Amino acid sequence: MRHPTEGVLRRLVDEPAGVSDADRAHVATCPSCLRALDDARADAELVGAALTSAGTGTVDTDAAWARFSAAPATPASTPAFRPAPAAARNRWRTAVRRPAVAALGATVLLTGAGVAAANDWLPIFQAERVDPVQVTSADLVQIPDLSAYGDLQITREPEPEEVADAAAAQERTGLEVPEVGELPEGVTGDPTYQAAGLVEATFTFSADKAAQAAAAEGEVLPPSPAGLDGSTLRIQAGPGVAAMWAQPTGVPTLVVARVGAPTVASSGVPFETVRDHLLSLPGLPDGVAQQLRSLSADAGTLPLPVPAELVTSSTADVDGTEATVLTSRNGLFAGVVWVEDGVMTGVAGTLSADELLSVARGLR
Amino acid sequence: MSASATRGAVRPDLEAVFRQEYARVVGVAARVLGSRDQAEDVAQEVFLSFGRSAVPAGEAGGWLSVAAAHTALNLLRSGRRRSAREETVASTADVTTPDVADTVLTLEDRSRVRAALARLPAKQATALVLRHSGLSYAEVATALDLSPGSVGTTVRRAESALRKELNRHASSD
Repeated sequence: MRHPTEGVLRRLVDEPAGVSDADRAHVATCPSCLRALDDARADAELVGAALTSAGTGTVDTDAAWARFSAAPATPASTPAFRPAPAAARNRWRTAVRRPAVAALGATVLLTGAGVAAANDWLPIFQAERVDPVQVTSADLVQIPDLSAYGDLQITREPEPEEVADAAAAQERTGLEVPEVGELPEGVTGDPTYQAAGLVEATFTFSADKAAQAAAAEGEVLPPSPAGLDGSTLRIQAGPGVAAMWAQPTGVPTLVVARVGAPTVASSGVPFETVRDHLLSLPGLPDGVAQQLRSLSADAGTLPLPVPAELVTSSTADVDGTEATVLTSRNGLFAGVVWVEDGVMTGVAGTLSADELLSVARGLR
Repeated sequence: MSASATRGAVRPDLEAVFRQEYARVVGVAARVLGSRDQAEDVAQEVFLSFGRSAVPAGEAGGWLSVAAAHTALNLLRSGRRRSAREETVASTADVTTPDVADTVLTLEDRSRVRAALARLPAKQATALVLRHSGLSYAEVATALDLSPGSVGTTVRRAESALRKELNRHASSD
C-alpha cells in the first residue's frame, strides 16, 4: 500500500477520527510514516506554542459588547465599514456567504464556466447539494447567456488528461478516487483514470453590455441594482478525478467521478442582489425562473439542468446524504450524484438506477 | 437592496452571536497578531461587518473566524506591525502561560514566527490560524473553500515553513 500523504499524517496528529482505518493501520506499522508523523506532531506543537499569545480565556465579553453597542454605527476612523455604495466597499467585508446562486449556477453551468476564490474573496456560494431543474430544449435556447450581460473570462482551464492510475490522479488533484467495492454484473476489467484541474472564471457585470443585449432582443432591461455595474464574480469548480470502465468496444459502462463542487465568490455586491437581478432578466422562461427561485431559498443548492424530455429524476439516500438519481426515459442509462463536504461525487453508466445506487453506497 | 435599507438594518441575532463567538474571534486574531488589544479591535470591526451581513446564523462561526483571520493578517502585513511587536512584549509580560513549550520560545522567536506568518500565502496562513484556533478540519475546509482532504496538507506546509524559519535562526545564533 502507498504511504498516506503529509496532509493525512498531519490530520492524524489532532483529528485521528478523520483519517481512514486503512491509513491509520498503515502508519502504525510503517517506520517511515511514524517518523514523518513525529515530525508533523513536533512542528504542530512548536507552531501552536508560538502562536499562542496572552490567553483568550480572560476575554471580557460583557465589556466588549458594551463597547460594541456604544460605538457609532459608522465610525469615521474606519472608513472601510461605512455603508457606502456597494462597489466602493472593501471587497471581502461585504461579500456575503450566502449560497443559493441558483440562477447564476444554471446560467454558468450552461455557459460552461466554472470561480477563483482568490485569497481575499469570501465565498458567497458553495454547492452543498444538487437539485434537478427541469428544462425543455426550448427553455435551453431561451435562457439568457451570461456573456450577454458582462465579460466572462475563463482564467484557468481544467486541462483534463488520462493518468496511469488512481494514485497519479490523486497526486495531480488532491482528490482520492473513490474505490468501487463490488462491480455490478457486466462491468469488468480495469478502469482508466482521468484527472482535471480547477476551472476558474471571472464574470464582470456590464450595464452597457446588458442594455445592448436587451435592446437587440427588443426587451427592456430591468433597472440594474446600485453597485452591480463593474462588480465581479469569481466562479470555481474542480479539480476532478474519474475512473471509467468500458466495454471492449469502448462504450463506457460505468463512470465514478469526484469533483470539487462549484463555488462563487463576489467582489462587492451581496449575493441576493445578483440572484434577484439575474432572475429578473428578460428571456428566462417562467417555469425555469420559478424552479430556480424556489431553489434559491435553500442554502447551497446547485441547480442541475435536466432535459425534461429525456430524463426523470428522483432522490435516494447514499450513506446519509440525499442524492439525486437521474434515469433516462428509455432506460439505457442512469446516474446518481450527491455533494458532501464540498465535494461532488457521481456514479453513472449504462446500468439501472438500483445497480448504480449499490455502487454509490459501496464506494470506499 | 438600496443603501438606505442596509444602513438601518441590524440583525436581531447580533447580540446572541456576539456573546457566543466573541472569545473565539478574539482568539483567532490574537494568534495572528500576538496582541490582545489589537485582537479585540479586530473583533469589533469584524462584528460590525457581520451585523450588516445576511450570513445565515448557522454559518456565523466560520464566517467570523475567516473574517477575523483575514483582517488580522492584513493588519500584520500592513505598516502597523512594529507596534504589534511592542505589544507582544507588553502582553506576554503580565500573563503567565502554563504551556511548557512557552519557556523554550523567546519573544524573538515569536516575532520571527509572526513575520513568517505574514509572508505565507494567505490561504496557508488562514488555514493554519483557524486550525490552531480550534476549528475542525471540516470547518476549515468549508470556511476556506478547500477540499477536506487538502486542509491537512495546507496546514502542514504552513507549519513546516514556520518551523524552518525558527530553525534557520536557531542555527545561526
